[in-house]
Amino acid sequence: MEVDINIRITGGAGQGVHTVGGLISRMAVAAGHHFHATQDYMSRIRGGRNSYSIRVMDVPVRAGRAAADILLALDPDHLPHFLPDVELSGLVLADPVQGGSSAGATTAPLKELAVSAGSPILGNMVGTGIVAHALGVPLDTVDRLLALEFRGDFLEKNRKAVRLGAGWAEGRIPGGFRLPRAEFRPRLILAGNEALALGAVAGGCKFAAGYPMTPGSSILLGLSADGPPLGLAFEQAEDEIAALNMAIGASYAGARAMVATSGGGFALMVEALSLAGMMETPVVIALGMRPGPATGMPTRTGQEDLSFALSAGHGEFPRLVLAPGSVEEAYGLAFHAMELAEAYQVPCILLTDQYLGDTVVDVDPEALEVLPVRRRIVRGAGVPRNGEGRYLRYAVTPDGISPMAVPGEPGVTVVADSDEHGEDGHLTEDHGIRLRMVEKRLRKGEGLAAETLPPLIAGPPDGEAALIGFGSTKGPVAEAREILAREGFAVAAVHLRQMWPFPSGAMEGILSRYGTALTVENNRTGQLARLIRAETGREVGGTVSRCDGLPFTPEGLAKEVRERLWPDRSIRR
Amino acid sequence: MAGPFDTAVENAWCPGCGNFPILTAVKKALELTGKAKHEIVLVSGIGQAAKLPHHVDANVFNGLHGRALPAALAIKMANPSLTVVVTSGDGDIYGEGGNHFVHNIRRNPDIAVFVHDNQVYGLTKGQPSPTSDPGWTGSLQRSGVISGPFPPLAVAVALGCGFVARALASDVEHTAELMGQAIAHKGFALVDILQPCVTFNKKNTYQWYGKMVYKVPADHDPTDRQKAFALSLEWEERIPVGVLYRLARPSFEEVHPGVGEPPLHARETPQEAVRELIRKRVLALP
Repeated sequence: MEVDINIRITGGAGQGVHTVGGLISRMAVAAGHHFHATQDYMSRIRGGRNSYSIRVMDVPVRAGRAAADILLALDPDHLPHFLPDVELSGLVLADPVQGGSSAGATTAPLKELAVSAGSPILGNMVGTGIVAHALGVPLDTVDRLLALEFRGDFLEKNRKAVRLGAGWAEGRIPGGFRLPRAEFRPRLILAGNEALALGAVAGGCKFAAGYPMTPGSSILLGLSADGPPLGLAFEQAEDEIAALNMAIGASYAGARAMVATSGGGFALMVEALSLAGMMETPVVIALGMRPGPATGMPTRTGQEDLSFALSAGHGEFPRLVLAPGSVEEAYGLAFHAMELAEAYQVPCILLTDQYLGDTVVDVDPEALEVLPVRRRIVRGAGVPRNGEGRYLRYAVTPDGISPMAVPGEPGVTVVADSDEHGEDGHLTEDHGIRLRMVEKRLRKGEGLAAETLPPLIAGPPDGEAALIGFGSTKGPVAEAREILAREGFAVAAVHLRQMWPFPSGAMEGILSRYGTALTVENNRTGQLARLIRAETGREVGGTVSRCDGLPFTPEGLAKEVRERLWPDRSIRR
Repeated sequence: MAGPFDTAVENAWCPGCGNFPILTAVKKALELTGKAKHEIVLVSGIGQAAKLPHHVDANVFNGLHGRALPAALAIKMANPSLTVVVTSGDGDIYGEGGNHFVHNIRRNPDIAVFVHDNQVYGLTKGQPSPTSDPGWTGSLQRSGVISGPFPPLAVAVALGCGFVARALASDVEHTAELMGQAIAHKGFALVDILQPCVTFNKKNTYQWYGKMVYKVPADHDPTDRQKAFALSLEWEERIPVGVLYRLARPSFEEVHPGVGEPPLHARETPQEAVRELIRKRVLALP
């Protein structure tokens, strides 16, 4: 690893921070390198203080870094907020502050050059030109990237602004940030939530509904954009209660169905989650976690809904809870969720959060496996009938899975009920039937448990310590582990991508092979530590918690682990 | 005499319950459609009225209290060739599910909605429903209902519901006829059915309705929204039954680009199409 440059663009909503961030990310890929982009934004439509951080490396990047090497502040008034997170050798670019101080920044005439390019709003493109010059990215590469985004007169104005910026930078900007030339390889550019939606579509999702709520909305965006070409019907619901009841209705009618929301919306869906358990309708719920309680911090990240997702819903029923830790896993586990929800006729919850959802990376196009969808619906002669010629929706079977036919199948009626019901689906108050149905439903959980995805371990198979995380902490934990390993600590990173059924056996083995274990969680109360205790009977050595609404960074996490576990040991350099 | 839609499921209604004539009317209306039982889906929420689908031999989705409409909408979206009928109570559709009532009239899916309107919560033993008359005393409102009644037909007319009708449960022939027209209507069709509750509602009885109800005059033009609105508000002096309002609107399924043939359950997911979605995100420099 020779290249590791962290570029941060900051500004108000509406200043084009996102556009510049996307362009610089693509410059990195065009130069044959890799990137990891994260966003931090405030809950508003215009203004505020937002940032887009792009970390560029010569190897695939799995986490962001706190300190910026290049800070492009589109609003100079934001400098006091962002300057503390700039490397000492860093480059800071901003317009001069009217009647104030731009101390610590190289004043660049962004607005003035933007006006010469044709519009004061082009300051972001002037800044792009300066950053392109600093990175040594040829202007014709920037021109080609701009042509992918803009057309006509607007394209020309953007190109002019970039040229003016690059021209100004000539001789004024140090060359310490030049990206070495590397071979260009076609890369997929994908965000976490976008990948999750894509995986669901690849998994045969044909119905999706939702009520917009950050950070679940971008999953709905993905489903409504990528779904229709593959036959998905999308509907914005009047509320989250409607959304999940709609998805369950569609599922009853044979469509693979999905909803996406955040914690508050999921709270409204909870009764319907239980309905899916009782009616045995497959459904996938993407839960984009954000800091709570209540409205909390709508646009920030958190992992506070793990316990909620595991226990939500009245009554007892099997469920699948998955927690992707990367853009690739978001795609793969969404596909997996669609397949298993139908195979076991259970609800499946996909835990994501703002950090993973908004993270954009470049991915090997081959890394997204395109597998055939395996439908389980019985049709025609495949529909089983009893002695009276009737189809029984809830036929009691050894594995608890009843063959699922759909309404419209000639000669068959499908009866589904939220009340306790007999094999025929009609409601019953018979205690004996009740017992058989409880056992039947829970037997599906045993099959589901047998397919549990084990935790992924990076680092030594045994040693001093293990850092255990779930979901979106995968990248930061893995890189923190590498930092600690370079310093001479024998530590492993354990990533859980399935939370329920819990991989108890694998976790017991892990806990017995390492001297101590810490969970790493974006919550305050150590929900994963509690889950491990409940499912293995073993205590972990503690929890590294972050609950300020921001993701872990590798160096910050490594520092905290070092101080917690080895306060007296010197670092091997 | 056994009919084509009869089932052997044990009935849990009170003797004399208004649900019995409604059940008879539903079966008659379904026979009128000429549809086979596998082509019909009955959707309900929870309550005594919501148990009706169990007594009809067709596809049944007996979901959550208040949530019949979202499920019915999605079933219709998933397979528009199905005849989807919602049959549930006033508390279910107008109370717990009020938001879905409003927004599905806006959407206008081709579903028929039969509301058993007995102005009382029977299964929970005698609380007022959204349509209870002010002053009516329930087990939780000992000094009487304070809130004004929810006017379902006026709300439906105001929202532009394409078929708005009221029936009286005891007039089975007329109720079945209105139900048949509702099913035949292409769009959201509401039939509010006045239904005596013999156990908990001692005010709105068979006798009371007998005195109050009159048939919408033959010369009423159901496309006249103002007149329909005025009729929909009649209650204190006398209560009109029949078709109050009709409005021609395209149905939700006709205008939703993702809905149609083939039904969702029969749609394929070709691997090549998925690969194309992936390919279009690959950064290729022009």
